[in-house]
Amino acid sequence: MSQTEVFEKVVQVLSPYVKNQTALARLSGETHILDDLKVNSARFVDVVLALEDEFGIAVADEEMDSVTTVGDAVSLICSKLS
Amino acid sequence: MAPLWVPVVAAMLRVVLGYRIDGRAALRHRYADLWRTRSGPLLICANHLTMIDSALIAWALGSPWWYVRHFAAVPWNVPERQHFAASVWARVLVYVMKCLPLTRGGSRATVAATLQRFTHVLAEGDAGLIFPEGGRGRSGRVDVDAAAYGVGRIVRSLPGCQVLCVYLRGERQATYGDMPHRGDRFRVHLELLHPTSSATGVRGDRDVALQIVRQLAAMEQQHFDDRQ
Repeated sequence: MSQTEVFEKVVQVLSPYVKNQTALARLSGETHILDDLKVNSARFVDVVLALEDEFGIAVADEEMDSVTTVGDAVSLICSKLS
Repeated sequence: MAPLWVPVVAAMLRVVLGYRIDGRAALRHRYADLWRTRSGPLLICANHLTMIDSALIAWALGSPWWYVRHFAAVPWNVPERQHFAASVWARVLVYVMKCLPLTRGGSRATVAATLQRFTHVLAEGDAGLIFPEGGRGRSGRVDVDAAAYGVGRIVRSLPGCQVLCVYLRGERQATYGDMPHRGDRFRVHLELLHPTSSATGVRGDRDVALQIVRQLAAMEQQHFDDRQ
């Protein structure tokens, strides 16, 4: 799966949790998931679980802590898929 | 010197604010028993309605003088930094009062660091108190959907951790607020839980957190059933 495909799927998974639709419309790899997209921090774990299901991967606690932007999520998923 | 603030806080709750705890002696007896016979870290998980819930719960579970002799049993807690630790002086004061201020909604790295410190003090043998819903439930009821995964992470990182679920509610508490009504009478329910999960990583954390919050929701239901 290419990085672009991963990015698109990540955006799909994130969308239902996003409160700031304006930020979602101009989303990039630099977009901060909590600060920019206003995803509830308590719900972030649901995003991670949805990503695990979508990509068939397992994310450790420490790996989740390292994800702050959409690009971080894409990089983590790509590294696991490869 | 640190334990000496406990009687002061207890006196404020009892004398100044006029609060009462139903069945206080039995609750304290049970907590003392649990403390004496514990075989691992002890984490207290409670519902959250007001800004002084942690003080009320500590007061319900132990007498000031018992806490002076068993200071490790006074639970550490993680209050919202904005409310309780806005200045350096406030931070020093809340630390002495066994609080580790947390910035809710802050970067996950800082939240994780605070929870790691919290986990450390539990591993060292002190009790801890956390609100698994993450904040005061705006509906006034336990919100299972609000379960934060952090509590699951703490429990899973502490082998043998026992979770004491505490449901506390004042007779005049209809919903959440800053302070309970002056002179309110509280009912407190306790249930000991050993949550586990066969899932790994984040999924396991979430699983454990949900078990705890569901237990609190069940205790809430029992609370209202008992009143009818």
